[in-house]
Amino acid sequence: MVIEILFDESCNLFGDGQNSAYLKATLPEAQFIYTKITDVPYFVEQDPDIIYIGSMSESVQRRVINKLMPYKERLFALVEKGTPILATGNAGEIFCKHIQYVTEELEIDGLGIFDINVKTDLFDRYNGKVLADFENFKLVGFRSQFSMLYGDNTDYAFTKVIRGIGINRDSKLEGLRRNNLICTHILGPILPLNPLFCEYFIALTGTKAEAAHKEAALSAYYQRIKEFEDPVVPC
Amino acid sequence: MKKIRYYFALHVAKLAQFLMKLLGRNATFLPGKIAIKLSPDFLKHLTPPKTVIAVTGTNGKTTVSNLLSSILTQNGYSITNNSFGSNVQAGVISALIEDTTIFGKPKKDIAVLEVDERSSLLIYPDLKPDYLVCNNIMRDSLKRNAHTEFIQFIISKALPLSTKLVLNADDIISSSLKKDGQACVYFGISAEKPEGNIPQHIKDIVYCPECGAILESEYVRYNHIGRHFCTACQFQSEAPDYVITEIDREKDMFTILSKDGEEKYNLINDNIVNVYNFAAAIALLKELGLDHEQIAKGFSKTKIVKTRFEEIESGNLKITMLMAKGQNPIACARCYDYVAKVPGDNKCAILVVDDKDDNINNSESTCWLYDCDYSALADPSIKQVIFCGPRCKDHLLRALLAGVDESKISITEDCSESVNLLNTDICQHIYVLHELYRPEDARTVKNGLISLGKETHHGN
Repeated sequence: MVIEILFDESCNLFGDGQNSAYLKATLPEAQFIYTKITDVPYFVEQDPDIIYIGSMSESVQRRVINKLMPYKERLFALVEKGTPILATGNAGEIFCKHIQYVTEELEIDGLGIFDINVKTDLFDRYNGKVLADFENFKLVGFRSQFSMLYGDNTDYAFTKVIRGIGINRDSKLEGLRRNNLICTHILGPILPLNPLFCEYFIALTGTKAEAAHKEAALSAYYQRIKEFEDPVVPC
Repeated sequence: MKKIRYYFALHVAKLAQFLMKLLGRNATFLPGKIAIKLSPDFLKHLTPPKTVIAVTGTNGKTTVSNLLSSILTQNGYSITNNSFGSNVQAGVISALIEDTTIFGKPKKDIAVLEVDERSSLLIYPDLKPDYLVCNNIMRDSLKRNAHTEFIQFIISKALPLSTKLVLNADDIISSSLKKDGQACVYFGISAEKPEGNIPQHIKDIVYCPECGAILESEYVRYNHIGRHFCTACQFQSEAPDYVITEIDREKDMFTILSKDGEEKYNLINDNIVNVYNFAAAIALLKELGLDHEQIAKGFSKTKIVKTRFEEIESGNLKITMLMAKGQNPIACARCYDYVAKVPGDNKCAILVVDDKDDNINNSESTCWLYDCDYSALADPSIKQVIFCGPRCKDHLLRALLAGVDESKISITEDCSESVNLLNTDICQHIYVLHELYRPEDARTVKNGLISLGKETHHGN
């Protein structure tokens, strides 16, 4: 199995970098390719089994979009083919149609896989938790962001939240999904925090694997679900 | 009219300060809050002391501002500072109000103000500091500080060009705060250069600020602190004006080289993070015009405050209390690294770090644990690791992922229980790494260890 981690040197804010570490611990036999911003991505010529990209600063986000724009068609083809791609935090925004950076007074086009617009304001930070139903288990996680998404994701939301917000403060539909491309504003260590989701995501490749340190991970996961379900705990 | 509002706000805030103190309260935040409420541009009208020094940055601002205040006071200057209070706008204003007469005149010569980076825009445009010391800009609370580019943007936007900067040459992010035409001096450390490029868990700057190419490193001390250069353009780390050339850990002395030549000072603490703090303080004091004798006198009489570093002996146990700021991944990782590197092979690390209280008014996030490098805890000299408190299961998972051997980890949600988990047969030097905002838990562990030390001693 080949796993490509895109731009890990800078797309690793908020603990996102440890998602690849958790994949590595779960899939010790897999080959990991760490593509730097100055490299030609592996996916351009080859078929990775999984692609992961994590949270980044706003300037890096613009640079990543510039970098990936020439490979947009190839990325679309991989998405249509069903390659599992996970984008956490604001990484998923690169697949949206348009991004407005309010503070910097800039507007740019994204890769346009989703007909969704992004508004980023450095003086409007949102912090919160997510508790969501997903498949036959629950998802837990954290959000911390300057951006909100606008548009109708009814047909391609990643998940519906039980607590927390969706793509913006008025939405309960979190994230974006097309085939196995999953974009979620849940940031940080989503895989170690959700060992069942980690197993689900790996299973999208057709491989079954048990999440690393599963006993410890499940113990922390169930405690977190219990806490997040408590209405007294702010979300 | 605005001036009348200012005086009204000043008098009400001073009255509030007086009454709060009468009631035994700190009065280090609310008076400032009242002043801002009554006069939103209060700071613009306030006459500050003749010299205003702001100390900011992710790590080290409390230590640097305490050092500055202490040494300046020892040399006869009268100081306004907020070392016992808040470092946000209301805290800074409270400190200034306390040392302002009812006629609006400053009572002290110099203000040494620790300023939260996020508060820059609310403070610097009006207060216009004469000097700004910035020790480093690093990953911090993701909820408040987001990322370093954001913090750099905020400080840079807020700072007037008239402020003279004292910046860390070994931190490209903070050294980039200097704008064209701005006066600036740099400090750094050339002693104990690490050999080669040790891979870092996270780096907050990887691209050249000039051309965007991936930076090369001559060496990295931790995270992005070190010396860097770009092979695609001429960019390189700034040359320091004040550089620590020698750290003599046996004699507890260090040498700093500047335009005044080589000078020696007492090494108050040998953690490299604190050595940077000392370099920052000396650079600023020298820029203020103090000489070696005046500064050295201060260094010989100053200690790191007990809430941050304390050593206790109890029976056979040596207990070191070390503050490890929660939500601050690099500060915590530096503490783990420090414990691993201290000589000895009978060490235990007890972690009392969690931010569950954040849930009271906010939404707690534990993501930072994964930005924090736990691999130092795998060091064979650390025989036991005990995680206590409500987040012990998260710490356990994080430590396992970092390669810490499960057999040496114990967890308990009850901090008082941690002492019972300690194996004194293999661990006699206990490091308690504790969170600033959980002093009661840290005290519980400390007192438990002191009692255990006495019992073990008597048992022998």
